[in-house]
Amino acid sequence: MTTLELTEDQRDCLQELSNIAMGQAGDSLARFLEVFVHLSVPKIQIVQTSQVSSSLKNISEPGLPVIVVGQSFYNAQGQKSLHGEAIVIYSESGADTLSNFLGDDESKPETDESLMDISNILISVCLNGLAEQLDTRLSFSAPTMIGKGISCNDVFNSGKLSWDNALLIEINYTFESTEMSCNLVLIMPDESVEGIIAKVNEILDEF
Amino acid sequence: MSVYNSNQNPYLSSNNTSDVQSFMAIPLLICDDSSMSRKMVNRSLPKDWDVEVTFAKNGVEGLEAIRKGQGEMVFLDLTMPELDGYGVLESIKQEGLKCVVIVISADIQPEAREKCIKLGALEFIKKPIDTEKLTQVLKEYGLY
Repeated sequence: MTTLELTEDQRDCLQELSNIAMGQAGDSLARFLEVFVHLSVPKIQIVQTSQVSSSLKNISEPGLPVIVVGQSFYNAQGQKSLHGEAIVIYSESGADTLSNFLGDDESKPETDESLMDISNILISVCLNGLAEQLDTRLSFSAPTMIGKGISCNDVFNSGKLSWDNALLIEINYTFESTEMSCNLVLIMPDESVEGIIAKVNEILDEF
Repeated sequence: MSVYNSNQNPYLSSNNTSDVQSFMAIPLLICDDSSMSRKMVNRSLPKDWDVEVTFAKNGVEGLEAIRKGQGEMVFLDLTMPELDGYGVLESIKQEGLKCVVIVISADIQPEAREKCIKLGALEFIKKPIDTEKLTQVLKEYGLY
């Protein structure tokens, strides 16, 4: 098993690149839902796959049921750098609130449809923003509903993640005048991380 | 076009009655949790701008520096641990601290800008910072 580690400068650089990408996605989401979105500092860490679930800090209550939408992303230029899984985690109790932003009782779309749209905006804008800063381009699979009323453990401990270590980028979006928030989590496996670190080192060399 | 030259601008020199003071370097604070971002802002400053730069890595440190007079001019990030940029702006207002704040943030929602201006920020610049844009804003307000 290779041990990946980030230096403080590399972590700081990745956090700032994520911060800019997070802001772009937050702006797109705010325009879509017509609500102000509060942003917090992105959390960057390298974790073993078995620890992914327990490493997520912003999930409101670990035991509460969540709704999870996922999308895979690939490097469109065929490089190993920057590929992995992106997921958006919503508390089950707050999911309806989000749909309410998109219309009144008669015209509002189905909750599932709303969550897929919101997830797609967050994932594509944020990751494209990150990719642009890392001088690469991405392609995406269609968003899929991974599970409803499940726990986060179910998502990450199902044996789906087949790598040793992963770079975890966690971004929280909270919607103003509600207690509703969602988490965008980007999970990138070992080989993807090595390419990202190489690019981050190039950026850091400019300083 | 700049209406004021750097010794006459209404933002930084309102209490400046001494000629000696007018030629002193402006205490400038760069408050951002990211080390890379602090360096980027510092590197984007006009090369011949006479400033004495102090760095702070969160809102609490930033406020302390402003209270100590190290931030007559402040470049302020919004999303920070301990105390965010909105909290810093609120405290500056409440405590009546004399400083000019330009927010430099990745939170590009139009409402984020409005909130900052309402809380007393002079201007809002989007990240990633554009050197020309920063110089243009500084000139526009007669700060440089």
